[in-house]
Amino acid sequence: MNSLGIEQFPDYKVPGVQHVDFHPYESNGGSVVAIAGDDFVVIAADTRLSSGYTIHSRDQSKLFQMSSRTVLGSTGCWCDTLSLTGLVKLRMQMYEHTHLKTMTTDAVAQMLSIIMYNRRFFPYYVSNILAGLDKDGKGVVYSYDPIGHCERATYRAGGTAGSLLQPVLDNQIGYKNQNVPADQLPKLTKERAVAVASDTFISAAERDIYTGDSVLINIITKDGIEEKTLQLRKD
Amino acid sequence: MGPDYDFTDTPVSTGTTIMAVEFDGGVVIGADSRTSSGAYVANRVTDKLTQISDKIYCCRSGSAADTQAIADIVAYSLNYHRNQTNKEPLVWEAASEFRNYCYNYRDSLLAGIIVAGWDEERGGQVYSVPLGGMLTHEACTIGGSGSSFIYGFVREHYREGMPKEECVDFVKKAVQHAIFHDGSSGGVVRIGIITKDGIERRLFYNTESGESTIVGSESFVN
Amino acid sequence: MYMDSARDVPSGGFNFDNCRRNAALLQGGFKPPTTTKTGTTIVGIIYKDGVILGADTRATEGPIVSDKNCAKIHYLADNIYCCGAGTAADTETTTDLISSQLELHRLNTERQVPVVCANNMLKQMLFRYQGHISAALVLGGVDKYGPHIYCIHPHGSADKLPYATMGSGSLAAMAVFESRWKPDLSEEEGKVLVRDAIASGIFNDLGSGSNVDLCVIRKDSTEYLRNYELANKKGERQLNYSFKKGSTPILHTTIKDLQITERVHVVPMEIS
Repeated sequence: MNSLGIEQFPDYKVPGVQHVDFHPYESNGGSVVAIAGDDFVVIAADTRLSSGYTIHSRDQSKLFQMSSRTVLGSTGCWCDTLSLTGLVKLRMQMYEHTHLKTMTTDAVAQMLSIIMYNRRFFPYYVSNILAGLDKDGKGVVYSYDPIGHCERATYRAGGTAGSLLQPVLDNQIGYKNQNVPADQLPKLTKERAVAVASDTFISAAERDIYTGDSVLINIITKDGIEEKTLQLRKD
Repeated sequence: MGPDYDFTDTPVSTGTTIMAVEFDGGVVIGADSRTSSGAYVANRVTDKLTQISDKIYCCRSGSAADTQAIADIVAYSLNYHRNQTNKEPLVWEAASEFRNYCYNYRDSLLAGIIVAGWDEERGGQVYSVPLGGMLTHEACTIGGSGSSFIYGFVREHYREGMPKEECVDFVKKAVQHAIFHDGSSGGVVRIGIITKDGIERRLFYNTESGESTIVGSESFVN
Repeated sequence: MYMDSARDVPSGGFNFDNCRRNAALLQGGFKPPTTTKTGTTIVGIIYKDGVILGADTRATEGPIVSDKNCAKIHYLADNIYCCGAGTAADTETTTDLISSQLELHRLNTERQVPVVCANNMLKQMLFRYQGHISAALVLGGVDKYGPHIYCIHPHGSADKLPYATMGSGSLAAMAVFESRWKPDLSEEEGKVLVRDAIASGIFNDLGSGSNVDLCVIRKDSTEYLRNYELANKKGERQLNYSFKKGSTPILHTTIKDLQITERVHVVPMEIS
C-alpha cells in the first residue's frame, strides 16, 4: 500500500471518483517444458500469447536461441520477457567481444540469475527455463524464479501449466512413484524426450486455458538445434 | 479484461436520455434506446417507454433491474385497483405509487423515473420522480445522464402551449442532441404520444436516410 | 414420530447461518473457495419458425478447465429452454427451480405456459437476490404468441430481443450476429449462424471452448442437439501411459470379514 495513497487520507476522498492504480505487470500465459539427456536437451513451449480472456497471438515463439548450444524458454509478462532476453543477448555479445569465445550454457545460467536478482525489488515477471549443453556436451536444464533463484535440473516445467506438467515429468522422466526395477524402465532417448514433451502439451492444452494453438520444440545436440512444431487445440 | 473482470457482473444500467412534455390534450414522451453494462451496449433497441396502464406510461432511467422491477410492481398494483374499482387509474396515482417505492427504498434503488399519461380528471400530465424519491408535477421535464447536455436547449426552445406536432419535433430534437453528446445514450429515438385515445408510437432512426439499415426488422424494433 | 426429530427438518430457502462467520474470516484474510464459473458463450436467435439457442461446453475454475463437455442449455418446459452463464451452481439451481414452478403452473392452469411467464419468474427471483445469484441467462421459447428471446442479467433486468448473446464470449458472438442476422432466416441458415456465433466464442474467448450445443424450438416441436458439432478434437498422444501391474507398491494387506446382522422391530398395527 502506498504511504501517500488516497486510502491514507479518507477525508480527501471524493465520492464517485475512481482511483486508478498502476499495474505494471500482466500475465500473458504460456508454458515451457525442458528435458535433458546425456548428449541432448529438448525444450518446448506453446505459441499462444494471451491476456485475460483474449488471445493476442496464436503463433508467438517463446524460445530464444541464445547460442548454438543454449536456448532460453521464457513466459509470464511478455514485455518483461522481451526486455530480459534482449539484455541477456546484449551481455552475451559483450562477453564474446571481450573474451573472444561464446558463453557456455553454465555461464549464461549464472549471468541470467545475476541479471534477474539485480531487479530484486521490481522484478522481471517471468518464468524462465534455460536449456543447453554444458562444456562437456551433456544436456542441462536450469530453472528460475522471478528474482533469480537458479536451480540445475534434468527436467522442468514452467509457465501457466507448469504445476500441471511437472508431476507428469516427475513420473515419466524421473520415474517417481513407479515400483519397477531400473533396468525395466525405458531409457531416456531423444525420441522419448520429444514424445513426452509433446504429449504433456497435448494434455495441458486440454485443461489450461492459456496453453494451446501449437508447440514449438527445439532439440539441441552437438550438431546444432533442430526445430519441430506440433498443432494443439485452438479453443 | 480478464477472468476477474466479467462484464456480466457489472450492473446493467440505462445510461439514458428521457423526456416528457405536456400539450393540450395529452403528453409526448421520448427516450433513446441504449442499455449499457460498463462499456458494452447490452441492448441497442431498448424500449424505455414502459406501459403502466392503457394511458399511463413511464420513462425509465438508472438501474435497468430496479426500474423494471418497480414498473412491474406499479403496473400490477394499478391493474389490480382498476379491476377492483372499475375505474381507470389516474396519472397522479401512478406517480404517487412510484414515489412511494422510490422514497421508501431510496437507499437500495437507483431509479429516476418520469411518469406521464392522460386521465379523465386532469388530462395530459407529466410527473418527475428523481433519484431520492421526490415527486413533482412538471409541464416539461428531462431525465437520465444525457439530460444534463440539453438543459440549455430545453430552456431555450420550450414554450408553453405548443401544439402536438411541435412537441414531437421538440422532444425528438432534444433527445437527438443528448444522444450526440452523451456516450451512454444512443440508438434510435422512441417517442410516444398519449391522448384520450391511447398511445401513438413513433420511431426515428439516427441514420443518414432516416430508415433502418436492416431490411424487415421493423417488427422487432417497433 | 418423536417431537425432537422435527428440529432436523430444514426450512425452505437459503441458509445464511455462516454469513457472519465467513465475513469475519474474510476480514482475517481467509478467502472463500472459488466457485465453478462457466466463462461462457451462450446465444439465442429468432428465425422464421421459432427460436434457436446455442452454447459452448466449457466450464472453468479460474484458468483451469473443470468440465470439457458440460451442458449449458437447460430445460424449463417442453416449449421453453434457457442457456445459463455465470456461476454454474446458480444457473443450474435457478433454472431447475423455475422449471418445477412452471410445471406446477401448467398443471394449475391446464395451459402451455407462455415464455413471458418464465421471464417474469426468473427476473423476479434474480432481482430479489440483488445480483448475489450470478446467473446471466438467455431464455428462448415458442408459445401461442410466437417465438421469444429474452436476455436476463444477474441483477434482474430483462431485455426482449430478436437475437441475444451472454457470457464472456458474448462480444465475439454478437459480432457475428450484428453482421449476419436478418429477420425470417430459414432453419438451416439459423443453425449455421448460431453455430458460427458459438464457434467465434469458442476460438476467440479463452473462457469458452470445446463443443457446440444447439436447441431448436419450433411451434410444436423441440430438438435438443447436444454436441451438434465437435469444434475441437483432442490431440493424439504418441506414447502409451498405462502402467505395468505392480507399479504401485503394496505396503500391507488386511482382510476382514463383514458380519451383517439385521434386527427386525415388530410394530403393532393401529386399529381405529
